[in-house]
Order: sequence, then structure tokens, then C-alpha cells
Amino acid sequence: MSAAFVHGVGTSRFGRQPGVGAPALVQQAVTEALDDAGVGDVRELDAVFAGTVFGAPGTAQRALQLLGITGVPILTFENACATSSTALHEARHAVLSGRFRRVLCLGVETMTLHFSGPITPEETDVEGRAGLALPGVYAMVASRYEHLYGLEPKALAAVSVKNRRHGALNPRAQHGAEVTAEEVLASRMVADPLTLLQCCDISDAATAAVIGGERGVGRDVRIAASALRSGELWDHRSTQPWGYELMARVAGDAWQEAGIGPEDVDLFEVHDAFTIGEITATEALGIAEPGGGCDLVLSGHTALGGRQPVNPSGGLLSRGHPLGATGLAQVAEAVWQVRGEAGARQVEGARVAAVETMGGGTAGIDGNGCVVVVLGG
Amino acid sequence: MSTTTGDPRPRVRTGPDGVAVLGWRCTGCGYPVAQQVLTCPLCREPVADSAFSPEGEVWASTCLRVRVPGHTPPYAVAYVVLDDGPRVLVRTPGDRPLPPASRARVTGTSETGDLVAVPAEEES
Ligand SMILES: [Zn+2]
Repeated sequence: MSAAFVHGVGTSRFGRQPGVGAPALVQQAVTEALDDAGVGDVRELDAVFAGTVFGAPGTAQRALQLLGITGVPILTFENACATSSTALHEARHAVLSGRFRRVLCLGVETMTLHFSGPITPEETDVEGRAGLALPGVYAMVASRYEHLYGLEPKALAAVSVKNRRHGALNPRAQHGAEVTAEEVLASRMVADPLTLLQCCDISDAATAAVIGGERGVGRDVRIAASALRSGELWDHRSTQPWGYELMARVAGDAWQEAGIGPEDVDLFEVHDAFTIGEITATEALGIAEPGGGCDLVLSGHTALGGRQPVNPSGGLLSRGHPLGATGLAQVAEAVWQVRGEAGARQVEGARVAAVETMGGGTAGIDGNGCVVVVLGG
Repeated sequence: MSTTTGDPRPRVRTGPDGVAVLGWRCTGCGYPVAQQVLTCPLCREPVADSAFSPEGEVWASTCLRVRVPGHTPPYAVAYVVLDDGPRVLVRTPGDRPLPPASRARVTGTSETGDLVAVPAEEES
């Protein structure tokens, strides 16, 4: 197999919906993805590559049986925020190698079952035990970034304003309201310098994608490249903020495989769990020079209508962040954009999209895992 | 919070010559590490117990103002790169994070078991 394609994508509703369990969310997402892919018979699926971070053992099997998806190998991945991106990367290679002809990828998370606010840090982790919750991890990124390059609060606010403006155009977004920079900066401080409106919300959702070979269907979107790495040791020798070098290494792998560079991409979906994450991601992907991420967002380059929109979906800041489901939510947006099916938030003439998902939280390394996927072209 | 899990946080030793942060150092390449390891993560040579300088440079910092189970906000934290030692996460007094590139000194551990550091010029 010379290339793998996304045949179809689907999502559940996004939001805090504690009454809706994983089986219902999975059925929504998978039904939409199968319909989108034109898969009428689930026996056309050779395997399921699922992902969940906090889900109970057997979450995927428990839900998939209700769709009649049984008997085939069902594998569950965990890679923090990059969980379902990892499933997609692995599914692509399973198709390319000929191991499976068609793989259903699935991400599902029911976070309100476990948390009311930020994710409780892992107490077996040296920094989690010390109370460094994820907003603190990203606040440390902002602190280090400010030390290296300078960081104006207005640049952080601009990310939130832009993505929430995009999200207002996305009927699937959990938080679809526009905000002003003043409102962003005046919202409650969570971890200096990140205010509440600079942090994504937790979410309950499922997402799905059908991956297979070339079948001559015009709506299928080619996976031009995908790359996955886990972080290197990140210790006293490190100068860069957490995640920065990992994202850059993975992006480099992806551009090399795709044979294109960031300048050739029409839109990006990147991991804006916190505003600073989008600024560092745009630099790591090469859209801006190191230290240029603030000017990039302030210039309008990354807004809808700009030269290269970043997070036209509204990103995690609007959509919410159902951890294990987020990667495929980003992929779904990229697929809709490349097909020209993104409605009011359509990037005009979009042909090539790139997705970046950054998963983390483990002390001592530069990220649990990062995935970059290039779609279309 | 469960107390059944081994506490992974670094410990200190307070002696006549002051406070030292305890950890390990590679006998081959000198790599310092504050988390227990059997062999060096870089070169796999044996490691030996080590006591690191309590002083170092603030690498990054913030103050958490959100409720995290087992921790009472607000609490300021910083990464401090100990002189000739590992980088450690410390609590710092008050709710104003210590500026990166400033000097800090570990003075001990808090009641909750976290390393505590103050600006280096301050009396402990
Ligand atoms: Zn060594």
C-alpha cells in the first residue's frame, strides 16, 4: 500500500455531559464516521485502534459491541493528550504495511466522571506529587518562554480571542462564545500568567475516523505524513520550555516525510490546551521563527481570513479537551477543511492541513508523546 | 490523598554545614539525578548517593491559584537548577513567583513534603 487515506470521520457532541456514558458517545461518533466513509457493514472493518486516557479497562469493547463491532482485534492506546492521534498514526502504518485493509480509529473520554476542574496530577509523579497540575506545566512554559523571548499578555489573549471567534462558527464547539482581550486578561488567574479564558475546559466526547487504502473516492483524504515521538530527558541541561524541542523534532519528521514545509500548509489544528501552547506550537512547526509566535498571532496571519489559519475549529479552547478524543477531533476538522465541508469556518481553497497534538504531564521528559499529521495535498 | 504510594519527591539532609538536597550522581559521566535510579539514564554506569548544593538558579516559575486535591492555593513553585546538580521543583514563599535567572536556596521541606526554597540573598 503506497498511501493511507481517511475514508470518514465523526464525532459525538462535545461538552460536560456527565449523564452520557462512553457507550453513547462512541455510538454517536462511530455511526457518523461509518456513514461518512460509506461503510454499510461493520464486517468491512479489520481492526479497531482505540484510545482513552482515564477510561476503565474494556471501555472500547464495552461500547463497540453495541455497534456490532466484535471479533476483530480491538487495541487500546494511551498517550496522554496525543492518545487518539497515536491511534491514527499506528492505524495508518497498519494499513500501509498491509496488516489491515481498513481500521476504525476511536477516541473516547468521559472526564466529568473523574474531575470537576483541572486533572488531578498523578501522585506517583515527582512533580505531580508536588501539585504541578497541567495549568502549572504550561504556566512554566510561559515563564521560560518569557525569559527567553519576552511574552506580552496581549499575545496570549490574542490566541484565546482568535480561537473563540473561530469556535463561534463551529456548531460542535463546547464554548461557542466570542470574548475580548480585556475579558481574557481580566478572567480569574489560574497559574500565572494564564487566566481562566486561556485554559481549555474538560469535556466528555468521542471521536472516530475510518482509515484505509486508496479506493478512488474523491472525498477520501490522503494522509501525506504522520510522525510520533516521545520526549527526551528534560533536565538541568535543557534551555527550552517543556515540549518545544519534542514538537520541533516531530514536525521535522513529518515535513520530511511529506516532502513539503509549513509554508505549503493551508491550515493547522494545533494543541492549544493553554494559549501559550499554540504560540510554542506555531514556532515548533516552523510557521514562525523561534520567538516569533507572538507576532504571528498578533499579525492576523493565523486567523480565519489570514494567510494560514491556526485552529479554524476554535481549537481545544472552544471545543473543550476530552483528552483521549482530542487528536481525532483535530483530524476531523482537518478532513472537513480539506474537503471544503467546514461551513462558516471554511478556509478558502484549503488543500493541505496539518495537525499537531502534544501529550504530557510526566516529569523529567519533554512530553509523553507528540504527533504531527499532514493531510491532503 | 492516598499515602500508600512511595513518595517520589527529593529529600534534604540538614547537618552542621547546612542543608543539602539528596540524590544520585553517575560514577561514569557525572550525570546528577534527584529521582532514584539503579543506573545512569545516560550511560548506564552505576550511580552513587550524592548530596547537592542547596543553591541554584531559577529556571522558570509560576503560582497555582486553582484548587488541586491535596494542595491549598495559592502556591508558588519554581524549577531551580542546583549548582552542579539536577533541576528540582520547589515551593517558594508567598504568591509571587521568583523571577527566572534569579538565585534561590533550598531551605528544607514543607509539612506537605515539598522542597522549599527562598531567594538566595534572604536569610533562611
Ligand atoms: Zn552516566
